[in-house]
Amino acid sequence: MNQVTNGALKSKKTSKKPEYSRFTQQELPAWKPILTPGWVITSFLAIAFLFIPIGLVSLFASERVVEIVYRYDQDCVPEMYRGNVSAYIRNSRTNKTCIGNITVPKKMDPPIFVYYQLDNFYQNHRRYVKSRSDKQLRSAAYEYSTKECEPEARFNKSGVLVPIVPCGLIAWSLFNDTYNLIKKDKVLNINKKGIAWKSDTKVKFGSNVYPKNFQSNDLIGGGKLNESIPLSKQEDLIVWMRTAALPTFRKLYGKINTSLEAHDTITVVLENNYNTYSFGGQKKLVLSTTSWIGGKNDFLGIAYLTVGGICLFMALNFILLYVFKPRPLGDPSYLSWNRKAVN
Amino acid sequence: MIQHFVAFQAMKDDILNQIEASRQVIINEKNKDDPFALVVDGKALEIALRNDIKDNFLQLAVTCASVICCRVSPKQKALITRLVKKYTGKMTLAIGDGANDVGMIQEADIGIGISGMEGMQAVMASDFSIPQFRFLERLLIVHGHWCYKRISKMILYFVYKNIVFGLTLFYYEMYSRFSGDVLYDGWYMVMFNLFLTSLPVISLGVLEQDVSSDICLQFPALYQQGQKGIFFSWKRIIGWMGNGILTSLVISILNVYVLSPSAFRKGGQVVDIAHLGLTTYTTIVWTVNCQIALIITHFTWIQHIFIWGSIFSWYIFLLFYGALPPEYSKREYKLLIEAVGPAPMYWIVVLLVVVISLLPYFIYMVIQRSFYPMDDHVIQEMKYGRKVVVDDEMWLREEKSSRKPTQIGFSARVDAKILYLKDQLHRKKMFIIKSIANSPIRRSISTNPLENRD
Repeated sequence: MNQVTNGALKSKKTSKKPEYSRFTQQELPAWKPILTPGWVITSFLAIAFLFIPIGLVSLFASERVVEIVYRYDQDCVPEMYRGNVSAYIRNSRTNKTCIGNITVPKKMDPPIFVYYQLDNFYQNHRRYVKSRSDKQLRSAAYEYSTKECEPEARFNKSGVLVPIVPCGLIAWSLFNDTYNLIKKDKVLNINKKGIAWKSDTKVKFGSNVYPKNFQSNDLIGGGKLNESIPLSKQEDLIVWMRTAALPTFRKLYGKINTSLEAHDTITVVLENNYNTYSFGGQKKLVLSTTSWIGGKNDFLGIAYLTVGGICLFMALNFILLYVFKPRPLGDPSYLSWNRKAVN
Repeated sequence: MIQHFVAFQAMKDDILNQIEASRQVIINEKNKDDPFALVVDGKALEIALRNDIKDNFLQLAVTCASVICCRVSPKQKALITRLVKKYTGKMTLAIGDGANDVGMIQEADIGIGISGMEGMQAVMASDFSIPQFRFLERLLIVHGHWCYKRISKMILYFVYKNIVFGLTLFYYEMYSRFSGDVLYDGWYMVMFNLFLTSLPVISLGVLEQDVSSDICLQFPALYQQGQKGIFFSWKRIIGWMGNGILTSLVISILNVYVLSPSAFRKGGQVVDIAHLGLTTYTTIVWTVNCQIALIITHFTWIQHIFIWGSIFSWYIFLLFYGALPPEYSKREYKLLIEAVGPAPMYWIVVLLVVVISLLPYFIYMVIQRSFYPMDDHVIQEMKYGRKVVVDDEMWLREEKSSRKPTQIGFSARVDAKILYLKDQLHRKKMFIIKSIANSPIRRSISTNPLENRD
């Protein structure tokens, strides 16, 4: 009895073998997928059968969207000023009213969204994007937080430096063209409420912050603000201050809640105030309906259909290849040492 | 003194003659595959490794199948290793168990120490240590093979993933007049290599296996894939970089063209920098993680958790970051919940971009697997393909062919014995046939009378 236990103790002490575990011995249960012809054809067909319907649905939705784009910055400069457009646009005394006509191609159901589109305007330039003070916009207590906003930060009011609210280049360059749409001698009501993101109007732009000393410096960059309306209700400013990602962008101007019939003629009476002429920018007025994917976007539907088509084509190709030139699975003649022997 | 010098010269000449003579024997040998062994002792080695005749000696040693040096000092062991390394330019491996092997172990490219009888000095100086000599086979053929594939896949994938991420930032600069505005939030960029894409790579580098360990041992020829360097060549590096560049282009261009300038939601809202950045970044996270899922051939629960968990944690991060007050989250405040999440466009764009980015690599994989399969692919199919009837005979046959005919060691002796026996058998046969042909009985029954005279 003693000898047996002694022997057992001895073997326990001398064995240095580590504990077995599936992880340390790399024997965890695993799935080892093999790309067989069946899998190949299945995957291509699956992608094709998923993408082609999505593409068709997207394209269909996009086709239903009606979009009118009306470029007005060239035509709205009166003949006599076309030689010196910069002077015309900067002069506050010239008449900036402009009248144009647009035709509705198809019936547009409400809500119809009115946008202004700017081309070649780099709202994503780094120094422009930095030039704002979020603290100041949020609360009146931070009125003096204008460090990032130079040079549109403070105004010299008879010797005293007072802060500009809202400060910075983004606010300073506020877009100020206005549009009036008239159909059959009736002015269409453009609803300018609810065009900004809720998180902006509720949180980021304070309801106790009022514009102060805005556009008071010599150089005026854009529109002026009503000093009795708090920033959280100045939706045009809020929309403008959401800096766009690309040099060609649209921003929401308002919504129309009546429908427009096909072949209606809409008269556009606009104030051509904003200066895009100094840098070769373009201004456009856009009316658009939306669908579940948003505005007019044929590209998405076409891209989906193309990929679905390519995958279908590949699936068919591979089916033919596997039928006419099959490689039996696990065929040992493809092993490199066998191939060398053959060669 | 002069006597000493003369004796030394005589020894040197003698050794040089022996080296030359041996070389001649090897050259004159008709059967080119016959192995030769060289036996040198410490004293001869002292002279043979001198600068003027070491090249001759090394030339002879390298042509022999086996070189045995006996009674060598530790310094000579290290010197031989160094000289062989320099002369042949090949990868050298040294294995030893005692303190006298330490110099040699450190000198070689790979030093292996055996722990046990002679203490732990060799183990402490080595790169790898094993408890018994027989485990060397497993170390090389199983772990060496796996390590090679893991490291090459990991490095190539890492380069790919960072190219995809970095280049999208550069492409955005073209849209912002190279002013330096960054498409992504600072925290996104920190998270990329830290949390969102690092864990799957780690699981690839630690757990990936192309074939299981017993198959590695049965097919030692798979080890040659590492020796030939086929998984980490310039072709592969450039291929992966190209894949990265193409993927980044696809991601950048598709996101820009699909998301702007029209509205992206039913409510008529348009995209701004934060939305574009978020969508582009989401597509990158998805693409990069699905790409690694295409590379991995051995999926354990760990890989699944890391890959799909990384993608999922991206959304969790967005929710948390967006919930922070705007002082901290700035542009990303409530971005996922309010703006981007409810838009079907966001999810559709991600699906489209991921599939398009991965399609070229997938097609390449399919074509390679179908028409130009590599050894490990064929062996995987033989073992794991369910529809294949694995013929035991065929398996054994391939096993045998995958081993090169050896020139040394136990199997060589067995082969030599077999050859010798075959030769004996053949001679006996010939003798019997000859004796039958010359036997008087046969002569008597043969029809040609003239034959009897011979």
